[in-house]
Order: sequence, then structure tokens, then C-alpha cells
Amino acid sequence: MTVIKTEFSITARADLQDDTGDIHYVPAPCQVACPIGTDAPSYIAYVWEGRNEEALEAINATNPFSAICGRVCDAPCEPACRRADSDGPIAIRNLKRYVLETLGPGYALPPVAVIREKTAAIVGAGPAGMTAAHDLAEAGYEVHLHEASDRLGGMMFWGIPRFRLPQAAVQQDIDRIIGHCPGIRVHLNSALGEQVSLDELKQKHDAVLLAIGAFAGKPMGVPGEVAPFVEDGVSFLHRVNAGEKPTLPETVLVIGGGDVAMDACRVARRLPGVSKVRVIYRRDYEAMPARREELQGAIDEGIEIVYNTQPVEVIEGRALRCVRTELGEPGEDGRRQPINVEGSEHDIECGMVIAAVGQKTECCELDAAGLMEWERVKTDLDGMTTADPRVFAAGDGAFGGSTIVDAMYQGHRAAYYMKAFLEGNDAPLPYRTPYRTRRVPVCNDPDWEINPRVHQRFHGLGQVPVEFPEIESTYTATEARAEAARCFRCDAETGSADYTVGSRESIFAMARINPDDLDKQSSILEKRLENRDNPFTEEHVATLDDLVFLPANLSRLVIDPYREGCATATRFGAIQGLRLDIPFTVTGLDEAPAEIRESVAKSIAVHGAAYIGAAPLGADAKWIQVVSSDADPAADAIVVNADQAIAAGKVSRAKAEQPAGLLVNSANVVAAVDFSLAQSLDFLLLDPTNGLPGLASELAGAPDISIVHRAVARLRELNREEEVDLVYFGGLRTGTDAAKLLALGTIAVTVGAAMVLALGADISGGSPVFNANLDAAEREERSSNLLQAFTAEASMMARCTGKTNVQNLEPEDMRAITLVVSRATGVPMAGSLHQH
Amino acid sequence: MVKIDLSQTDITEANAKIRDCGRDGQDVEIVNPDARHNIGVGLIEPINVKVSGSAGYFCGGLSDSAHYEIEHNAGWAVGDNIYSGSVVVGGNAGAIAGVAIRGAEIVVHGNMGSRAGQVMKAGTLCCGGNAAFMAGYMMYGGRIIILGDGAARVGQDMSAGEIFVGGNIESLGNDTMIVDMDAAERDEIMAFLDRYGMSFKGDFTKIVNAGKKLRYANSEPRSRPQPFFVSSGSSNYWNPKVQEDIWIKGEVGRYRIRGYGASKPIPHLNDIAFVKDVAAQQYKPEELQDVNLKTTIGGRYGAKPLSLSMPVMIAPMSFGALSRSVKIALARASRLSGISENTGEGGMLDEQREEADQLIFQCLSGRLGWNVKDMQRADAIEVYISQGAKPGLGGQLMAKKVTPELAAIRGIPQGIDLRSPSRHPDVLGADDLVIKVEEFREATMHKVPLGIKMGAGRVNDDIKIAYKDGFDFVELDGLQGSTGAASTEVLENVGIPTISAVQEAVDGLKEINAGDDMDLVMMGGIKDGVDVVKMLALGADCTSVGTAAIIAGGCIACMQCHVGTCPVGIATQDKEHEARYDIELQSQNMHRYFESLRWQIASITRALGHDDVHKVSRDDLVALTPEAADITGLPLLAEHPAAHAPELGLEVLDRKAG
Repeated sequence: MTVIKTEFSITARADLQDDTGDIHYVPAPCQVACPIGTDAPSYIAYVWEGRNEEALEAINATNPFSAICGRVCDAPCEPACRRADSDGPIAIRNLKRYVLETLGPGYALPPVAVIREKTAAIVGAGPAGMTAAHDLAEAGYEVHLHEASDRLGGMMFWGIPRFRLPQAAVQQDIDRIIGHCPGIRVHLNSALGEQVSLDELKQKHDAVLLAIGAFAGKPMGVPGEVAPFVEDGVSFLHRVNAGEKPTLPETVLVIGGGDVAMDACRVARRLPGVSKVRVIYRRDYEAMPARREELQGAIDEGIEIVYNTQPVEVIEGRALRCVRTELGEPGEDGRRQPINVEGSEHDIECGMVIAAVGQKTECCELDAAGLMEWERVKTDLDGMTTADPRVFAAGDGAFGGSTIVDAMYQGHRAAYYMKAFLEGNDAPLPYRTPYRTRRVPVCNDPDWEINPRVHQRFHGLGQVPVEFPEIESTYTATEARAEAARCFRCDAETGSADYTVGSRESIFAMARINPDDLDKQSSILEKRLENRDNPFTEEHVATLDDLVFLPANLSRLVIDPYREGCATATRFGAIQGLRLDIPFTVTGLDEAPAEIRESVAKSIAVHGAAYIGAAPLGADAKWIQVVSSDADPAADAIVVNADQAIAAGKVSRAKAEQPAGLLVNSANVVAAVDFSLAQSLDFLLLDPTNGLPGLASELAGAPDISIVHRAVARLRELNREEEVDLVYFGGLRTGTDAAKLLALGTIAVTVGAAMVLALGADISGGSPVFNANLDAAEREERSSNLLQAFTAEASMMARCTGKTNVQNLEPEDMRAITLVVSRATGVPMAGSLHQH
Repeated sequence: MVKIDLSQTDITEANAKIRDCGRDGQDVEIVNPDARHNIGVGLIEPINVKVSGSAGYFCGGLSDSAHYEIEHNAGWAVGDNIYSGSVVVGGNAGAIAGVAIRGAEIVVHGNMGSRAGQVMKAGTLCCGGNAAFMAGYMMYGGRIIILGDGAARVGQDMSAGEIFVGGNIESLGNDTMIVDMDAAERDEIMAFLDRYGMSFKGDFTKIVNAGKKLRYANSEPRSRPQPFFVSSGSSNYWNPKVQEDIWIKGEVGRYRIRGYGASKPIPHLNDIAFVKDVAAQQYKPEELQDVNLKTTIGGRYGAKPLSLSMPVMIAPMSFGALSRSVKIALARASRLSGISENTGEGGMLDEQREEADQLIFQCLSGRLGWNVKDMQRADAIEVYISQGAKPGLGGQLMAKKVTPELAAIRGIPQGIDLRSPSRHPDVLGADDLVIKVEEFREATMHKVPLGIKMGAGRVNDDIKIAYKDGFDFVELDGLQGSTGAASTEVLENVGIPTISAVQEAVDGLKEINAGDDMDLVMMGGIKDGVDVVKMLALGADCTSVGTAAIIAGGCIACMQCHVGTCPVGIATQDKEHEARYDIELQSQNMHRYFESLRWQIASITRALGHDDVHKVSRDDLVALTPEAADITGLPLLAEHPAAHAPELGLEVLDRKAG
């Protein structure tokens, strides 16, 4: 292995992987609630998409203990979920488990090489220590991990019973971490002060992290508290996790209301000899710190919870003397303090007492080195430093008992400051949890609103409780998908440029802060004063989107657009012209498969539209021939390339009464207008894409809509507006587009790409590929529906403006909302009424 | 019998006297009626009113439990919206006789004009002679009996109810059919005729709704919106959203529907900045105490104005689009923050009335939930002409939301895809509206301010008409205004931006020297105190907040309001979904939102150097984009001296995210 000395810094803010600068992203409440900022919305969305490896990347990016957390994380994300108040939070934790179980223990991440000279030592292989080891190894450091026991995992292995967290799950994460981080050198059975000393570690390595945990149970502090009648919860769980399945007395009392108490009571419930387990807790249900799910699990398994009760004396071999309590004023920790009720003493009979009232850290070596204070390693949270500048600390041993995910947070934080120290950066930017997004599209599941929370199957004690079978199983793929669909995707940009995710979240924040909290009020105001970037910069292209219709109100009679009729017929050319029932023609199917042409021909015939192409589309559909050599007498009208016609000095019809027009592009529009008038032609087919009857140029992007205004302007200039009809092709997406083009002065429009899209064509290659699995009836229905919808939309626009004939739409029915479109169309700006 | 001589008494005084008589249990005879409008409007006591002669428009309108007898003819809209009671017309009645009635009996011995019984909900309308075209137009219930002939399109677009025609029928309306009638029905009709001294010998033809157009034929596949930057912008013209729209239109054959407002980028208030660094100082509440935010709306003609604690109202949103729980929470939040709530289209809920201190009652074209008793307990009345989200169109409420409870309050059949009429039956033009305004003033004894709600279109012209029609205030809604359901095409493409609307309104009123007696309430994309102050500086007197209040109360902006299965219980009538909405929690959230808004408004006002929010002006603003400058006439920032002041500069004034 080549070891190189690197100079780059990874503790500058710019190097923190964080996406909060993206204006289309706001970290979701679940993500903010997670101490390590897990990108839950992204992995949930990946689960819905069935992309489990991507989901794992999103999970694992901040959480090396993904399999473990998928089962036993206290999941602060879930109560924070916005759906929690509706029909239950997304099962964020179980979806994580689903991903890890689906990918299986064989799933590996690529190894990261050691690329740095300096090395670090970490004492303690629990979640804090191993997370730090993982981060340092990922940054290229060699890390020596010293673990007092013969196992990696710390409390995750020794503290959590197997029925909640099977050994295999712990092993899955450890194997993945070690495989991914070959720079981690593991030293088992290497306890600080016994097999290895702090001085030795400091001598060998450039920095040391103490993540020694809190493995010693605290006593209840009442008379008579002696083993074996009284055992502390941590030791009890430790020996059971080491493989013991002791036979216990018939009645067991567990004292405490935290997660250790929950685990201890549930373990006891499964052990031989036990028939009754009671939990004694000094506060009430609301105040109980145990995760609700664990508490409910215990209750479901037949464990009795005795609230508002406090032990005062152990009566060896027989009972626990208790008093009842009431909750008084909040104490220093903000929690209401239990007050003993006088005269409420009573004995609760039992054969054993398990005291789960807290843990502490014990380490003589550190005591001697002066690094301990109040049963913990004295640690400054700001830099995760101890009294010794080269020694850092994290985890329960430093900050007291917490959750796995909190310990991981501390591991990340410690690793961040250790990296800064190792790089010689003595003033790193303060650490904060980075938030990332994978920008996964919002799932488009029709049932996302109505799917109820999918509960994982709870097995409780199982068939043979003493074997500790898992209490729950994860989802099937179908269940996982249904659950993932429920995610609101609070992180994702909305569909509205007005109510963006950023403004929605500011409004949310305004509604959830104390009105008197001026700092918060000010910071929100600062945010609200941020102006968006101009959406209409110089690069902004004029499209029909920037035109709006003016509705009828008072100055123009409102009609009833849902019911009142609207005429849609049109005619190309004078009295003898081509008559259509709707102002739509279709093009672009000359090269399409025969069955496509046939279906569209039928719907064109049904709707009284026409097809524009080199050859007729089908027997019934009216046909406007794009003439390449000779006009066809069978064509209902013909259209000739304007340049060629002008060069030839004439347009040759196949028969006298055949309506004839020119195919016009942006370059020749003025000449074409003049020529058409000189030749008394019937219409001009304006094609700014210059690609008709093909669709490739239309699909290339936004068309130059100014061609219509230029044609109209020329006709007006000559005062001969009524003498030639204008038909438009290019970029028509909706019936509204059509209405706008009619208002600008055309009498009909041509549908190209929209028709092939309605038939399911794939246009990603730049020209349509018909690969949708539709039968003839479906194709005909779809093409017919599109013409119907477009006609209805165009009619609706006309009726909104108070008109009952689409042909009566005029530029005065519209306003421009951007200068560029006002210039391109001559339509005045809304508000100022300036014409540009 | 008390005699009131209309040649000696003006109509307002006469109606006051009739009301007094009603309370005293005395009947009234109107002599010399001279076909005056609004005779006996707004009575809610059982009383007999005899009109000795002919009556003009709206005779007996907006009343409950009174009985009217008109000796000769009645003008248009006789018995408008009567709840119970009766009107007997000895001669002929003009157009829209019995319009929007909810349970009365209206008997016309002669002929009736066109559109008789339009949008009626219940009761009986009976005509001894012939009925002109479109009798029963858009009726939702009740019974029309025509002993003579029915002209063209009888029952046009009726949703429910029955029409019995004794003579010839020129033609049937859309979506109607002829069905057999049973003997009991005939007996009932004959008994009715007997009661009113009418006789009939022939056979009736019974016409009912054919049920083919009450629901959309096939439902649109549900989908969640793509982010707006995918669906707008010319860089990706055939973007996935465009493709999805076309694919779905190919499937259903019509426009798509969704909730919320225009989603594309539109020139808006965030293209305008203040000329001072208003964030520089953090004001404590006591420093803001003497900044006046109080706002009164609607005092133009002496009615009791709305008195708002700040220039903010809650926008009209219906019970229907929103769940009952949300309407209660909004009303509560409005009371806690000293502002007004608005019923929107769906009628007034008792709980809403109790919770809100100040409640605006909205009158829509379908007259859904409209009635005189709720008018009289409203704090203001607003005539809806159109709205920013779908101007030129009526409301849309998909069948999933038209529950039995909702149908009952609106007086319509349950389970139809409700497409409210776009036009008021009795307002075909601005001149009709003048008389309608008078009718409403009579029905509310001139005590209640009267407003008009419009989606912004030809604002420069429309505002002048609104002024001349005699409204106390205008609520003007821009293109950004939201809704619970509308065609996406209309949402995106009909109406002008809110900043354009305010500019045209201010300019239009100035052009007719209107002064400032008609209050201008602007809405459509108002999100915070920043927007409120900018809007007031542009010339509005007040603003109205809808979507933002709903977001404050838990809306996640998924824009699927029309589906009816709102996951947070807001835009739903499904009890299970509505149960997800915590009224107390969310009303407090909305209340906090409004208080934050208040702090923002006061802080900005103070920072701009004013002691009254109504003193902010265009001088406090500068445009950031050429579009905003063109629309509003404000100077562009780069050309403004403030941008070159050493302590400010472009970056300070034009703050950008990130």
C-alpha cells in the first residue's frame, strides 16, 4: 500500500456534504429529527422505485449501522413525520430494515484505501467508537480499534436482547464496515488499563478517541440492595446476551422506565421459571422515557407496568417495599419530580429485582490520568476534547446513556474534530449535521393519499420464548412499496413556482414558533425577504406560456363555459375553401407505422379535422398535401414550400378549386405573405420549426412564435388582413396553445408531437418511436380523445373570455406577462398595458 | 291591514315598515306600487303582503315565511331565493321567476318569462300560462308546473327536480328525459292547483334529468405533481409534465383538474423589493405598539364596516372544497387574530358563525347555501363574479366531496360532479348588478357592507364598473389565486398576475377620480407580511390570505385537493380523513402564523419609517426585474439611488437565497 501525505482539508464547511444551499430542497422534519441527518425521504422514494442499492447508499451514507438501526433505532424521525398526525407516520425504521434484509448480509461496499500517514486509536467498539473509526478510515486514516470484550458492537451486542436484534444483524453491519474500511485494525480483548494503556496508544498514534461506553449499572440507592436478589439491568442483559438462559424465580420485578428496563423485563418474561414480570416506575405513562413501541411490546407480552411507584427498601428474598408517588414541580431536568405519598408504603412480593435505573462508566486508568469526572470521561462537546489535547471522547462514556443514533452522531462529530486535529486545523468550523438529498422524484403512486400505515407483523414471545425468536418481521416487497408511497416528501420541491418548498416551510415555521421569540421571528423575516432569481432573464425564450387570457367579468358578459356552446368550425381559403369542424390539423405521421396512421385517420375523420402530409393518411381523413413534385387531385388542399414556389413564380394546383397554400418558415415569412397575395393563394402554413411534415425539428425545442405576429403585421401593413388565412405548426401542446394562436390571428393549428405522445411514442431519441402496447381501438380512442380534449380546451378559453366561437378570439383577449413574449407577439403587458 | 303608499314612501322606508308590521303580526297592503323594485325584500316574519298593482324586480325576494299577493304583474326574479312562504302573481311574471327558491310556493296565473326556476333547490313554481325558453335551467331540485306550453329547451342542464308541462313542449333541454308520472303525483298537483284556485284538464308531460352529464364519464388517473422547474421553463419544451398531460388527455378526452393556483413562474411580489434594509433591526413588540395596523373595510355607504386588527382577511374558501373542521379552525383563528373569515361558496356553517367574530358571506351564481337569514347574520356580503384561479368559470367540486351533508347545506343532489354556473341568473350585465346590489342592501337593512369578488382580467375596466355599481369593497384575485379544483389550463392561462391586477385597479380608479372610498382588497399569492406591505404600498387597502393560511394549518401543498382524499384532512369530506385534522391545534397554528404576519407587517412598516401601515407607498418600493418595472411602473433597482447608497447597495436590497 502506498501511503501518501495529503494536504487537502476535509473540515472546511465546503467539504461537508450538504445540500441545504439548493433552493429546491428543504430537509424534511424526519431528516432534521434524526441526529445524523439520515436522508430518509430519498431512501423511502428509492424503496418505492425498487432501487434498494441506491436506498442503501442513502441510508449508509450517514449510518454505518443500518441493519441494526432498521430494527432497534429509537427512530426520532417517526414522531417528527408530518403524517404522524394524520394516519400514522411512515414506518421509516422498518423500511430501512426492509432494504437491509432485501440486500442481505452478502451486500458489500467497495474498500477504501489508507492514504494518510497519521493514525488514530479508538477505545471501545460500540456505535460511537465504530462510527468514528468508519469516518476516519473513509478519510484514509489507519485506525486501531481496541475493544475490551471479544466482540465488536458494544451495547448493540451486549445490551440488546436477541429477540429484538439478532446477532446476524449486528454481524451484517460489522462485516460491511470492516469490508468497506480495511484501514480499521481490530484489537479484541484489549481493555484499557489492562491489555493496553492510554500512554501506549498516545505513543503509537497521533490521536486517541475514548468511546468506552457505560457498562456499569447504577444502584437504586435503597437499603438491602444486594446480589443475587437484586441484579442491575445492564449486567443481567450482558450475561443473557453472552449465552446464559438462567432459570429465574416465578415473580420478577424490573425497576425503571427506560429502554434497558423494557429489554430486561421482556428478557425475564422469556426465561424459564418466570410467570410474572412487573415493571415499577416512579412517574406516569406520559413521563416514561421508553420508546412507546417497546412499552407496548412489553404490555402485549403480558408484562404489568406499575406507575407512580418508587422502591424504598429491598426485603431480602421476599419483596420490594415501595411507596406511591405523585408528580410535583419540574426539576432541573425539566421533568416533573416524583414526590412520595406519605403513608403509602406497601410491599410487592417477588423472587428477584432487576434494577434498570441508569448506567455509569468505570475506568481506573482514566481516573488515574485525571480524565474522569462524575462517572464519565470529562468531555467538551464543542470539540469533543478531553483534558488531554490529543485525546477525544464520545458516546455514553462521555455524555451518559443515550441511543444508538445519538452515539453515532457523537462518533461522527468526534471523527470530524479528530480529522481537523490530524490535519493541523486548530480552528475548524463548528460541526453540524449535514443534510443531503438524492433528489429522487416524488413517487407517483395513485394510492399515496389513502394507503394506511402498514404494520409489521408482531410475533411477541413466539412459540418457544426461551429461544428468543424475533418479535417482528419486516415487509414484503409489496408492503414496503405501499408504505413508501405514503411519504409526503416534505423535502421535495412542490409543483408550484409560487408555493415552493422553501416558502411552504417558511409558512410552516411562522405557524409553529412562539410569537414572542424575536430571534426566530427575525430569522424567518430575513428568509422571507429573500427574492427569487429573475425567472425571465435574457435567456428566457418567448413561449405561449407567457400569454394569458382575459376573463369576462363585468365589462364583458360572462357566459357559462361548462354548458354554453362554442363554435369551432373553420375554413381554409375563401367560399370554396377546405372546411373543418375543428380548428385542428394533424401532421408528422408520414413515416409512422401503418396501424398508427390508420387509427389517427379514423379519429381525424370523426372530428372533421385534416391531415397534412406528403401522402393521404387514410381514406376518410381530409388531406392537405405537402407537395414535393406534383399536386394530387385527390388532395383536399395543397401546400407548397414557399421558397420553391417563389422561385418558380407560381403554385400549380391539380385542379382549379383546390385550396392552395405556402409552407412558410421564419426566414421567408414576409416574402411569402407578399407572394401569396400576389398569387391569390388561400393560406399560409407557418412553420417556425422548418421541419413539417417531419417532427424532429418540432421536438428540438421551443418554436419561434413571433412568426405569427410577423405575418399578421405584414398583412396589416398592406391592409389585406382578410385575404389569406394563417395556419400554424410548431410546439402545440394543449388546446390552450391553440386558442392563443387563434387569438394571435391564425384560423387553425397543426398538432404534431402531441399526437404521437398521446399514442405513447417515446421521443427521447429526438424522433418518435411507437413502442406503446396499444391495440387499434385504444389508438383510435386516444387520438380521438386528444382532439376532443384540445378542442374543448380551446373552446373553454374562448368561453372564459366571453366568446362563443373560437374564431372570434383576438389579440385583445390576451395579455403578456413577460417582455420577451410581448415583443414576440405584440400583445401588451398585463398591468401597464404597454405594447412592446 | 296597514296601508303603505309607495307614491309617498321610498322603498327602504317601506320595507322597514313592512318588517315592523311583520313583527307586530299585522298584514300590509302596498298601494301605488308603480312596479317598484325590491318590494318586500328581506322579510323573515310570517306576514301577508298584498301588492295592489304591479311589482318590479325581486318582489318578495330573499325572504322566509312571508306571503305575497301581487295583483297584476311581477318583474324579473319574483320570489328570488325564498326559503318558505308564497308568492301569488295575478298576471304575468318576468324572467327568472322563482330563481333559486329553496322551498316556497310561487304561483303565476299568467305567463312566465325565460329561465323560470333557474337554480331552484326546492319548493314549487307554478305557472297558469306559458313559460318562455329554458324553464328550469340548471335547477337542482323542487317542482315546476307549467299548465300552458313550454318553450325551447325545457329543463336545460337541470341536475334534479321535476318539471310538469300541461301544454306543448317546443324542445327539451340538454340531459333531460320524459318519464311517466304516477297517479299520486298527479293528485298532488291537482290538490296544489285547487289550493290556488287554478284548474287543469289535460295530461302532463313529466321531465327529469337524464343523468348523463352529472358526472365526468371517466375519472382522471391520479398523479402527484412534478416539481415546477420540470413543468415550466422553455429550456425543456417537451418536458415530462407536458408529456404526462398529453398522455392523460389521450386517456380521458378532456382537460386535467387539480387544486392550487397557477404553478408556472409569473411576475410577482418577490420581483419587487423595499428601498430600505428592513431586516436590519429587530423590533421588540413594545417598539411596534404605536405602529397602526388597524384597517376598516366597507364603510363607503354607511354600513357597519369590518374592523380588522391588521390589513389581512382570510380568503373565501368553501365548506366543500375544505372540510367542516378546517372551516371551524379558520373561523377560530380569524377571531383570535382579530381578522375576518369568509364562507366562500358553500353556505354558512353555524359553528363557523359562532367561532368567527367577523364573517363575510359569499353569494355565488348557483346560490348554493344562500339565504336571507345567513345574510342578516353576516358581517359583510360579497358577490362572487369570478376568482383568480378560474375566472370566467364557476366552482368545481368533484362528486367524492358532494356528501349528503354538503348537498343538504347547498341544496343540491348528492354525488354529482358539481360545476357551478359561471353567471348569476339575475346579473347579465353591470346594470342588473346595480339593482341586485339594491336588493341585497334592502335584505340587510343597509347595515352590512357589500363587496364584490373578481378574478383579475380587464381590471382597468371592471374596477370602474364595480365602483359605479355601488360596492363598498372589491376583493380582487390575481392569476396566482388558488382553488380546490379547476382545469389546469384555466389555472395557468386565464387571468393576469396579482401585481398587474393591483396596478390596473389603482390606475382605473384614478382615471375616474374615484378617490379612496371603495376599499381594494388584493389577493392571489399573498404569503407573509412582506407581501402584505408590498401590496399596500402598491395601492391596496387590505389583503386576503387563503393558501398560506391553509399551509400554516397543515396543508402539505400536494395540489391534489380535488381528489377528496386529502391525507391531512383539509380538502376532504371523507369523515375518516377529516378526523386527521385537529381543529384546536391547527387553529392555534394559523393564529401563530397570523401573529407572525402581524409582527412582520409592523416591523417592516417601522423600518420603512412609518407609524401606520396605510402610509406605505410606492416610494418604498423598487422593481427588481424589467417585468415588474414595466407592470408596476416602479423604478428598476439598478437605476434607483438607494442601490448606490453606501450603506445599502444591490445585495442588501435584492436579497437572494443561498
